[in-house]
Parts: sequence; C-alpha cells; structure tokens
Amino acid sequence: MYEAELSKNISKEHEEYLKKVRQINISIRISQIIILIAFFGLWEIAGDLKWIDPFILSQPSRMWSTFIQLFRTGNLIYHIYVTMYETIIGFLLGTVLGTVIAVILWWSDYICRVLDPYLVVLNSLPKTALGPIFIVWMGNGQAAIITMALAISLIVTIISVLNGFKEVDDDEIKLLKTFGASRYQILQKVVFPSSIPTMVSALKINIGLSWVGVITGEFLVSKAGLGFLIVYGGQIFKLDMVMTSVLILSILAALMYIGVSYLEKYFLRWKLS
Amino acid sequence: MDDFIISMKNVSMNYHTVDGETKAIDGVTFDVNQGELLGIVGPSGCGKSTILSLIAGLLKPSSGEIFLDGKVSYMLQKDYLLAWRTILQNALLGLEIQKKLTAENKKNVINMLMKYGLGDFLNHYPNQLSGGMRQRVALIRTLAVGPDILLLDEPFSALDYQTRLAIADEVWKIIKQEEKTALFVTHDISEAISMSDRILVLSKRPGRVIKIHKIITSGEQGPLNRRKAPEFRDYFNEIWKELDVHV
Repeated sequence: MYEAELSKNISKEHEEYLKKVRQINISIRISQIIILIAFFGLWEIAGDLKWIDPFILSQPSRMWSTFIQLFRTGNLIYHIYVTMYETIIGFLLGTVLGTVIAVILWWSDYICRVLDPYLVVLNSLPKTALGPIFIVWMGNGQAAIITMALAISLIVTIISVLNGFKEVDDDEIKLLKTFGASRYQILQKVVFPSSIPTMVSALKINIGLSWVGVITGEFLVSKAGLGFLIVYGGQIFKLDMVMTSVLILSILAALMYIGVSYLEKYFLRWKLS
Repeated sequence: MDDFIISMKNVSMNYHTVDGETKAIDGVTFDVNQGELLGIVGPSGCGKSTILSLIAGLLKPSSGEIFLDGKVSYMLQKDYLLAWRTILQNALLGLEIQKKLTAENKKNVINMLMKYGLGDFLNHYPNQLSGGMRQRVALIRTLAVGPDILLLDEPFSALDYQTRLAIADEVWKIIKQEEKTALFVTHDISEAISMSDRILVLSKRPGRVIKIHKIITSGEQGPLNRRKAPEFRDYFNEIWKELDVHV
C-alpha cells in the first residue's frame, strides 16, 4: 500500500537513491563476470605459456573440445541424465520421507524422546561409511546410489523440519485450541504453513547433500553418470574429462538451487507483499 | 440465580512441574449474568488468565465446578493473525476449524469486516495493517463462530496508549451491539472501570476473590465517557487500595 504511493510520484532525491542502488547492483554483477572470465582466461594463458602442465591441470580449450567430443559420441547427455535422475529421486525421497518422519515425531512427543539419541548418533555418523553395506544390500546399481543420496539427506531433513515444527509459536497453537482444533488441524492450519520457510531452507541444504550422495555412490559402483566419468577419467589419466565433468556438475547443481529459490519465492509471497 | 451464563463454584487450580507445585487460584466463586461485561483485575501472576483458560475448557480445574450456559469464544492477548493468510481468511479461521464455513456464515463475516472499517482490506495480509486494525480482525475472528460468551485476555495490552483507548471504546460498542456476554481480564484498573459492568478483584497468588464491585457511573456510557465521570476516581482509589500494591 505504501510502496504504491511511493512509486506514483518519485522525488528527485528518491530517484537518485534508486539510481545509486541500481548502479551498485550492476557493478557487483560486472565484478562477478570479470572474475569468471579472468579465471578461465588466466587458466588458458597459463596452459599455453607452459606455466602449468595442461596434462595434469587441463585447460579451458581442452575442456571445451572434450565436452564437444563427449557430446558427439552421444554419451554425455546419457551420463547427465543418469546423474540428474538419481539426484532428483534421492532428493525427493529424502524430502518427503524426512518430512513424514518429522510429522510423526512432532505428533508423538513420546516417540520423539525415545528416538532422540538414535537420531543424534545417526546424524553424526558419516553416511558414506555405509556405502559398502548399501552395495551388498541393494546390488551394485542405481538403487544403491539413490539409497546413498537418501541416507545422506534424510537425517538432516528430519532434524531441521522437526526443529521448524517445534519453533511454532505456542500461542498460535493455543489460538487454534480455543476454537477446539484437533491435532491434525493444528498441523494443517498452523504448524505446516508456518514451517515452510524452514522446510525450504532444508530443501536447499538437501540439494547439495543429494549431489554428494549421488557422486559418492557413483564413485563406488556406477557404470554411468558424471561421477562415473570423473572416476573413469582419473583412472585413465584424462584430467580433461574429470575437469569437464566437474564443471558440468557445478552448473547443474547451481541450476537446481535456482529452481528451489523460485519455489521459495512462490511459497513465501505473503512475506513480500 | 437463574439468568447467570457462567458460574464458578469454589474452583481451585494447581500447576505441576518437575520443580514443584504452584497454586494458581484458590476457591474462586462468582457468577456472570447474561449480557454482562465482567472485568477481572489483579496483580500479575494472580491466575487471571487461568480463570479464562478454565472457562474455555483448555484446562481442567483441580477442584470445584464450572457451569456454562452457552458457547464460549476466546480472544488472546495478542492478535495472532496468521501471517500467510489474508484478513478474510484469518477472520474465517474459527469457522473453518469448527467446519461451519457455509456461504451464509462467510457473508456474515464479510459484513462484519465491512461494518467495522475493514472492507478495503479483505485480501490484504496482516503485516499491511495497523495494530488497532489487526485487533479488530482478531475480535471479528472471535465473534465469527457465533459465541454467547466472549473471553478477552488483556486484549489491548499489545497496543500503544492512544490506540488502546480508541480500540477499547470500539470493542465495547461491538460487544454491546452484538449483545454478547463478556469476561475480560486486565491489570489496568482504569481500563477495567471504563469497560465493565462489574469488576472482580483478585488477590496475589494464589488468586482469591477479594471483592466484586458493581460499577455505576452517571452521564453517558462507554469507556471514553466513563473516564470523565465523577465516580471514576472513587472506584479507582477503592480498587487500588484493595490490590495493596507494593513496589
């Protein structure tokens, strides 16, 4: 309501203020791009001038030709697809299962207190240690990789979502009780919606963790995927392949993160108005 | 004895924690009549809110009996409007929970919002409204479920002084217009005198009834007018003495 009044008649002073804000934003973006260009430019030049050995450290131009080559032979899209598929499935499973378990623990304080020490231990356990066990249980295929991704993200999801549930204002719950709300209604009308900000930040952490799980899993067992390319490239000493895969991986991870950020904006639109 | 709508008989309430037991109220007895506005004053921690929670059924008394002849609706200290719901959705919350969200009830709520100056804000979010407006939405949310009895727990304590005087006047008018019975708790003696038909004075913890005053003032009625009435000061002094405040 106030913003609308402001935008209708902008004073000169305010105009200058807005201009300054815009200039700073633009200059930050330009600096970011300069760093990126300088990094790859320097890398390329250092390789050409033999400051570094491109055989070990690779080089942007070599990565580009590796990329084209991988793409032409038809494998790259498949490798990306495999890794993306495993990550998204692991991510979704971790989020949904973690939230469901958090709801159960919120529902019953008794169960929550009983399971508390187990959660603490599982949380501090490095889940990658379970990798060989998963391979034995699930066979050396995608199932083991997805389980790995799930194992890494699940406990963190449970703990952070549950904390979000528990941080809900007691008086907001009391308000619902004054209307005679059931436990399910309290969950549906207050606890869940007010925990959405916490859940979204849990999602953001989960994406990173799912990538960790999938790549670790692929290191251990896979026959395809970006993690496989990285390990394979290392074994046959083709660092170009390793570096290219790492670069593709970081771009994919960034894209998924941006996707969740859009989701966040959509769910928290009431905060912006 | 026949037209009371709330009756508490010798009600006591103890709270238990691992550290021990706290006696909140002790042997409280009083009636509230149909259409009456009863104010409860007392020092902080004397169990004022406990009495409201007992009547609302949020707590069970340790001993004693409570009779209710009508539907109760409770308005808490702060507005607690849910930030992700629009004003209209907030006002409909109680009806939604009690599964009484009919087209007719919804129309009533919209009418009430319009009548009390919130018609232009139905689709706004709570953070776009002033404190006084938010409090009015909270009151309408409380009234929406069609209660016979309103329980108000320090309903204005979160507001600044001027807003507080204005909104008290407005709330009083709304309660009288809608012909509700109301029980309201405050630690502000002036506020209690300005709004109540009767005032119940509670002692320090454990809360016991010290006295019940019938408030009658000359001249025009309503909280703001009452503050100008000649009897206002006498009631104030009397209750002040009974509360026996030591700093």
